[in-house]
Amino acid sequence: MIGIYLELACLPAGRGFGDWNLRYNMALLIIDIVISGLISGSVFALLAIGFSLIFGVARIVNIAHTAFYMVAAYCIYVVTHKMGFHPIWAMVIAIILVTLLGIICYKLFINPIREHEGAVLIATIALAMAFQEVMGLIFTGTYLSVPKLINGYHVILGVKVFYQQILTFCVALLIMGVLWVLLTKTKLGLAIRSTAQDREVANLMGINEARVAMMTMGVSVGLAALTGAVVVPLTVLEPHMWMHPLIMMMAVVVLGGLGSLKGSFLGAYILGFAEALVVFLAPMGAFLKGSVALSIMILVLLIRPEGLFGVYFEEER
Amino acid sequence: MALILFYLRKLFSVIKNEVLVLPSRVVVVLFFLFLLLVPLFTKDTYLLRIFTLTSIFAILAASWDLLSGFTGQMNFGHALFFGVGAYSAALLNKYGGIPPWGTVPLGGLGAVLAGLIIGIPCLRLRGTYLALTTLAFPIILMGLVFAFPNITGGELGISGIARLAGSRVADYYIAVVVMLGLCTIMWKITDSKTGIIFHAIREDELAVRTSGINTTRYKLLAFSLSGFFAGISGGIYAHFMRIAGPSTLEVSMSFQVVIWAIFGGIVTIYGPVGAVFVLFPLMEFLRFWQEYRILMFAAVVLLILLYMPDGLFRWLRDKIEKECPRCKIRNIATRDTCRICTASLD
Amino acid sequence: MERWKKRIFVLAMAFLFAVSSLTVASGQDTIKIGVIGPMKFVQGIGHWNGATMAAEEINAKGGIQVGPRKMKVELVQADSNEFLSITDATTAMERLIARDKVHFVVGGFRTEAVLAMQDIAMENKKIFIGVGAAHDELCLRVAKDYKTYKYWFRGSPFNSSFLGRTSFIHLGTVGAILRHSLNIPKVKVAIAAEKAEWTEPMIKAAETAIPGMGMEAVGVWRPSAVATDVTAELSAIQRSEAHIIFTIFSASVGIPFARQAGELKIPAVQVGINVEAQKDGFWGATRGMGNYVATMNTYARGVESNELTKAFVDTYVKRFGETPTYTADTYSAIVHGLATTIEQAGTLDPDKLVPIHETRVYKSPSGTVAYLKDAEGRHLHELRWGPGFLTALGVQWQDGELKAFWPNKWKATPEAPEVTYKGMVPYKIPPWMVEKFKK
Repeated sequence: MIGIYLELACLPAGRGFGDWNLRYNMALLIIDIVISGLISGSVFALLAIGFSLIFGVARIVNIAHTAFYMVAAYCIYVVTHKMGFHPIWAMVIAIILVTLLGIICYKLFINPIREHEGAVLIATIALAMAFQEVMGLIFTGTYLSVPKLINGYHVILGVKVFYQQILTFCVALLIMGVLWVLLTKTKLGLAIRSTAQDREVANLMGINEARVAMMTMGVSVGLAALTGAVVVPLTVLEPHMWMHPLIMMMAVVVLGGLGSLKGSFLGAYILGFAEALVVFLAPMGAFLKGSVALSIMILVLLIRPEGLFGVYFEEER
Repeated sequence: MALILFYLRKLFSVIKNEVLVLPSRVVVVLFFLFLLLVPLFTKDTYLLRIFTLTSIFAILAASWDLLSGFTGQMNFGHALFFGVGAYSAALLNKYGGIPPWGTVPLGGLGAVLAGLIIGIPCLRLRGTYLALTTLAFPIILMGLVFAFPNITGGELGISGIARLAGSRVADYYIAVVVMLGLCTIMWKITDSKTGIIFHAIREDELAVRTSGINTTRYKLLAFSLSGFFAGISGGIYAHFMRIAGPSTLEVSMSFQVVIWAIFGGIVTIYGPVGAVFVLFPLMEFLRFWQEYRILMFAAVVLLILLYMPDGLFRWLRDKIEKECPRCKIRNIATRDTCRICTASLD
Repeated sequence: MERWKKRIFVLAMAFLFAVSSLTVASGQDTIKIGVIGPMKFVQGIGHWNGATMAAEEINAKGGIQVGPRKMKVELVQADSNEFLSITDATTAMERLIARDKVHFVVGGFRTEAVLAMQDIAMENKKIFIGVGAAHDELCLRVAKDYKTYKYWFRGSPFNSSFLGRTSFIHLGTVGAILRHSLNIPKVKVAIAAEKAEWTEPMIKAAETAIPGMGMEAVGVWRPSAVATDVTAELSAIQRSEAHIIFTIFSASVGIPFARQAGELKIPAVQVGINVEAQKDGFWGATRGMGNYVATMNTYARGVESNELTKAFVDTYVKRFGETPTYTADTYSAIVHGLATTIEQAGTLDPDKLVPIHETRVYKSPSGTVAYLKDAEGRHLHELRWGPGFLTALGVQWQDGELKAFWPNKWKATPEAPEVTYKGMVPYKIPPWMVEKFKK
């Protein structure tokens, strides 16, 4: 796998030497790679941060995370198409509704069985399947689309970039900033961080652990909804759309280190760039971009089993 | 004559003293008998097909339990073993001309190889890291399948391979007998010294290592064993379906295995097997409600888990049987005193 | 609590009983046709709609004349769920045959699933008319092992090599239009094909066919069949300065590709195969950005391949509110194919029906159907392509409507007669292309 990848990667580079015109093309190619890497990295980052947060705090591997993202996208579709509101309102409504939905699901299905790790895991898988089916029943399996917040594109260094993609990038940075403030400057953030470090001790110190977990679930699902709102106008809506980002999101989180937001952020861009490299350097192998990104994740884990920024918890040895 | 009588009497006493005393054992015996006798009562190919597929997936779910349940090595990419087994059996049959009785075990060995290849790098990983990393392997393999369509047939898979056996009934018996045999073997393994070490690794790997046991070797053994059984089920599946395609490697396949195993109750072997025998026919039964099929399935899984988070079959067993507090022997729930040591049961 | 549990148990039992009694009850004097397909998806809905229309039409006439008796048609729907699970597809097929005891089966879409379903139908000697899967292997099996596989027939579309040939003609047609109206001396073509086995022979053929048509192939891009973001590929294609993007898409990637290309105003026109663009929902799914996308198609509103087309398309549109796609050819497979063959044979015995069906030449709404033999004269049960038979259409999205631009004065060979179907419109070049290249 890696062999093919390197071989293909060498081809265009080898051609570029000595020829100025081709070298100019090389420069453009690098710009292409940087920009599309940044964009797909931002999408991964938005998803991975939410997933990582709830894992770090409550040790819940929420497979349904991307399913919430899908539900948010359908919400936006309904609000803009069926009710005719402006996309910005749709975004707000979707985020609120999906966050509520997330908290309800958590209360009903996850909280009662939280002590059983395996049960939580398949409960989230079943939840995701249920969402997929409900959406399929309401909207059928046909492909739908939702309007962009800002239409049009901008030419950056000769590369056409959608405003929506720039928005995605900005939102990723913004969310990172807001989360950082939330976690380090507020009381809730303190509670979240201490719960993440040691659940039992946090509980003993008078932090309502169950409530913190619920709040975190809310924030995490809200982030999934926000991602849906920002990213889905760029793609197509269908009930199975949660599967593809799920794998990449998990790869990002593992690469960066479970529960580490910094790691998820960095991991997202590493895999984003890996995908962009494959697409531009080996167009014939563009379909391999997922496989290559996952191979990179495994390589990193071979060197650092806890991911880039992960920590081992003593109790979990 | 006397010898026959002696054995008959022995059999009778075994049944009376060992089987009939515990409802779970009675159920297991009835289950064996039922599966072996089904074709005598019905020749409905649809029903036989469902049971054949159920048996194949039962092996798969049990093999997951052997690795992830007992050893605690959460494998989220079990489809890898299944797919490798299916693809190697199909390739060997199509290009090597080897008949199914040869390709299926060889496919199992192929899956062992896959188990070692992913087991070795994954030895350093634990818990959720391991789970999410193993999830990646079938997807990477799927990339390879698509990268070499000349060999693997790309999205079409390898089709036109030999049938498992001549008729649906023969297919059924092969799958069922192999399933019963392999699941018994797996159950025996978990009951042996090796199985106890597997179990101990799950509980506290460090403690096992400090007892002077090479846990690395045992974990690799678990990966290979589990891979072997899963590979065999993949091989049988390929020959039964007469096609080995990328769908055997899909994420949903990996998830399905985890759902079966946890639904039935892990660290039991019988749990996952029972779960497949409940859930797979349930999916077929729900066909009359076509549109709501998967939704109902998800709802059943969610609701059962809510009340029985340890799995359906562990819950059932705890309802009908009690463990003696003194000698740890299991008793039927209606007894007041232990059948061995007569201690009172509460 | 106990009582509550008991009540639920009783209810469940009653429910089970009701369901099992429902499945037992069924008619005797009907011809049962199983319709198998991914019923939650557009393809399966097409299968079902087409078959429903066929059954209604036949039953309104009193049924099919089988020897002395008139028999009505009864459809049995089976959700193969084949996009998600091949296992499901095979059990659905087995159920149709063993439980529902259908006489014939139509449908199927994903080749991996159809191959497995084909084996089951053949084992049980049921005539299975495939409507959806295009792979050659399905019919090559008939030639290789006629005794086993003779019950399989291709209903639509014709096989992938004919699909390729037709789309090259479209490519050539559009290339010539660009060359003349925009004065581009050497038209450059980028090939965008989803990563799937059926596209491989087409890509290879395209790489030789494109220079043969006096154009230049500048590269091949292979996004995943379910990719949702292809901006990277599109930037690379734009960088290659292609004038035409030759698309080979059957899966969802066709939508984001068309939409993003339209939004980014990539100065290249899309021709080829884009199955998603054949559907009415394409305009909405791309938010109108799929304007000017051209693809091969079977049906379009207002286009007539022969005298049967108009009635079929109009009724279908009126009945289901959308233009039929090729999976709705279950209609012609039943009405023009099976029904007539059964009446000619006067029996439902598949062994008697096969020799009649494979030699028939008959008209269907998409053209004249005839079955091919291979080079050695063995039956393939493969659809014949060419002028006078099935040709398919070249269609283009023009401001919200799917219009056909091909075949318009088309000659298959220099001496062949010109073929023009009724309802053709001229091909339109996107304005941003005109702006960029017209001086």
